Amino acid sequence: MSASRVASALVLAAVVQTPALSQSASVLQHGTSPLIVFRILFMTGAAFDPPGKEGLASLTAAMISEAGSRSKTYQQIVDEMYPLATSVNWQVDKEMTVFTGTTHVENLDKFYALMKDMLLDPGFRQEDFTRVRDEAMNFLKVSLRESNDEELGKEYLYNVIYAGHPYGHHDRGTVTSLEKLTVDDVRAFYLQHYTRANLVLGLAGNYPNGFAEKVEADLAKLPAGATDKKRFQPPSLPAGARIAIVTRDTRSTAISLGLPIDVTRASPDWPALEVATSYLGQHRSSNGYLYGWLREARGLNYGDYAYTEYFPRGMYQFTPDPNLARQQQIFQIWIRPVEVNTGVFTLRAALYEYDKFVREGLSREQFEATRQFLTKYSNILTQTQSARLGYALDSRYYGIGDYNAYLRDALAKLTVEDVNRAIRQHLATDRMQIVIVTKDPKPFQDAVATNTPSPIVYNSPKPKAIMDEDAVIQTYRINVKPADLTVVPVEKVFD
Amino acid sequence: MSLRRWLVVAALLVVAFVLSRYGQAAGETTTRNLFTYPYSVDDLPNGLRLVTVPTDYPNMVALYVVVRAGSRDEVEPGKSGYAHLFEHLMFRGSENYTPEQRDAIMKRAGADTNASTNQDRTTYYVVFSKEDLDEVFKAEADRFQRLKYAEPAYKTESLAVLGEYNKNSSAPTEKLDEVLYETAFKQHTYAHTTMGYLQDVQDMPNQYGYSLEFYNRFYRPEYATVLVVGDVTRDRALELTKKYFGEWKQGGYEPKIPAEPPQTGSRDAHVDWPSPTLPWLAVAFKGPAYSDETKDKPALDLLREIAFGENSDIYRRLVLEQQKVDDLGVDFGNHPDPELFTVYARIKDVKDVNEVREQVLATFARFTKETVEQTKLDATRSRMRYSFALRMNSSPAIAAALAPYVLLRRTPDTINRVFAVYQEVTPQDIRAMAAKYFTGNNRTIVTLATKAGTK
Repeated sequence: MSASRVASALVLAAVVQTPALSQSASVLQHGTSPLIVFRILFMTGAAFDPPGKEGLASLTAAMISEAGSRSKTYQQIVDEMYPLATSVNWQVDKEMTVFTGTTHVENLDKFYALMKDMLLDPGFRQEDFTRVRDEAMNFLKVSLRESNDEELGKEYLYNVIYAGHPYGHHDRGTVTSLEKLTVDDVRAFYLQHYTRANLVLGLAGNYPNGFAEKVEADLAKLPAGATDKKRFQPPSLPAGARIAIVTRDTRSTAISLGLPIDVTRASPDWPALEVATSYLGQHRSSNGYLYGWLREARGLNYGDYAYTEYFPRGMYQFTPDPNLARQQQIFQIWIRPVEVNTGVFTLRAALYEYDKFVREGLSREQFEATRQFLTKYSNILTQTQSARLGYALDSRYYGIGDYNAYLRDALAKLTVEDVNRAIRQHLATDRMQIVIVTKDPKPFQDAVATNTPSPIVYNSPKPKAIMDEDAVIQTYRINVKPADLTVVPVEKVFD
Repeated sequence: MSLRRWLVVAALLVVAFVLSRYGQAAGETTTRNLFTYPYSVDDLPNGLRLVTVPTDYPNMVALYVVVRAGSRDEVEPGKSGYAHLFEHLMFRGSENYTPEQRDAIMKRAGADTNASTNQDRTTYYVVFSKEDLDEVFKAEADRFQRLKYAEPAYKTESLAVLGEYNKNSSAPTEKLDEVLYETAFKQHTYAHTTMGYLQDVQDMPNQYGYSLEFYNRFYRPEYATVLVVGDVTRDRALELTKKYFGEWKQGGYEPKIPAEPPQTGSRDAHVDWPSPTLPWLAVAFKGPAYSDETKDKPALDLLREIAFGENSDIYRRLVLEQQKVDDLGVDFGNHPDPELFTVYARIKDVKDVNEVREQVLATFARFTKETVEQTKLDATRSRMRYSFALRMNSSPAIAAALAPYVLLRRTPDTINRVFAVYQEVTPQDIRAMAAKYFTGNNRTIVTLATKAGTK
């Protein structure tokens, strides 16, 4: 790394420690579109849930977006938004809470009047609270635990890695904590965290002259408050890899693997890790290395991907939602569900391929192809006005300037050596955390305890290279001590 | 309401609620269409149609190929799921491109490429920078005309389809949907889901020969429409379509899709779900097929939102006031054959299932007798118009909005025609259509709940 890159790295690191949060901060993208996009961001989130009140940040946002204001019931708000075909939506992550809405400019005044009222003068009615809290509990108890093994595994992996850390609970909370929350808790969270100090206004489209200033003046009615600028440390993981098996009655086996990384979009190594991760497992693309070897060559499942950033709801969408920026990220591998009888083989194959990837890195050709892909693909990520606004807000948080320009410039300077060094530096680990959702933990317990082989039988002939590799994979050592394999019934997850 | 179906339906519904500033008062000579982008339609001698929509979104192009092959076309018993299997096989190589070569082209182009299948169509897309137009067109055209996959690769890919079945199977709504459709349809191929039955999916590895037959039947120019949206001209799109799709040979196959005989009584089914869930209720009536001429479908499209949408009386009662239901939705897509108008409800307590069912049925019955308020009808038309406008936020979004209509009528003009029909629908029309379709004989009700004795 050149001296100048080291210097810029230090600047970036300094920026992320204290994200710029000036009062009346705004990201304004005035343009020609008749669609006006709002992203009203508060730099607070689930990491600021008080202990024992997990889920409060999400519930507070839901009580603004899916409930009445003081002057209007929720039904009245829904009725007024109905002919406009719009709504105010919320998203809460560890450090960010965002309210989004898009309206046609013809309806701007009507929509904004409603949104402003919801944000600045929420109703916090008990009947809304009961409904919204039920919805949160049913999300955890039914939608996540019992209807979507992939998201269950991915989210539980975060709980495992961040146990005891402010990131250690699901953004929606826990069933136990939600049961105890009250409207007064919501009111208190709102007063403390929905402040000018935490606010960033995002606005895009062909809004009229003076409109942004009007919104800024309105939002200035929020209390000044203090910035939620807590510094979150990396999680401390005990030595050794670990497996947590979530048991439920399901016909297949879902696998997620991950490890914390000391790299975010603000870090000098982020572009290098983006190249590495895209090469290993570009989201929902048939171009990734894992996808090629696990799905295309072996037919083990529907897909296999890798990530450097939190990407919830990945089974429903091809591009990530913006405004999930965090100080701490994990590197994650998502192995989509496999047949129960190939679960252990697939875990071994994933670990084998990952170790190989860390050891060997990318060839120059693979590097060049992936760099070219990412340089152009950033245009796909930021195609819509809403995405561009969201990315700009995230860039502000990370202190990196325009996302596309930042990535393009960084990629242009990158070398294959940078990428392979970054892989070894950040992704080599003896602490891989593994979450498995399955009905039968025994084959995994046996493999860990006695290295029981897990041979695989295919329905068609395979090339010699695959058969040779399989011979190694079927007894590939899963370096987890038997005591570090835990089994959790699904009803205890997010409890 | 499988997730796949739900997502597809979500897309369809937004487009279904299309309305705009069309208003041709007497004496006026101009009309304002809902779909306002200029577009061109060009037919090749082989029957392939090209629709080009230049937009002002810079640099990017969305290339969609819509093939009229969906689970509706799976007419042989034991062969459910093959349209969807084909969506997978199309990524398994063609005469001039191995899968690796195609991947490399798409990777160099920084392209977003994927596909989806529903009852009526398979939609392939690539979104990329305009500088790669020629190369992407060429690679894309090859697989539609000269797909080539060996039996071992076929067998492996069929396992990826099983993997997709597996990842979907943890959701109870997948099973709910499967049972709903097989209960409602006894002859028509809408009886099976797009994913297909598990036993058919598990048998796919043994059906290599049948897969080749399927390709020969449907991957023909007369079944396909090429849709090009973005930073592109008609001349350029036409030149590339002629150059790379011009030699595509017509086929001669037409599936004999059995007509569904009139239903003669209400049908019910129940699913015992093996793990804990909140109970689900689906109440469905057979509805009309898509039309941009008659009022049947447009009238019920309007009623869908008025009767069961987020500001409907039943939503207010069940979700907001009584809070017995935490998810209330409607599925009523546009299809070439009559399909289902289905209300889905997730109920918080199993003891309330019967009451919720009665309230849903009472709502259907109410609109067969009462006329909707004119103000509500107008607000709903406004909602449709803005829904459509809000969706037009990128070239691929425009292409995705057009794809269902391109399947149905092979022209974006159908959007404006159906929109014109929406404008003519009166409260009396809505009541008449509700009375025509929401009859006891036309009804199917399916419930799903945790099996007794499950922990």
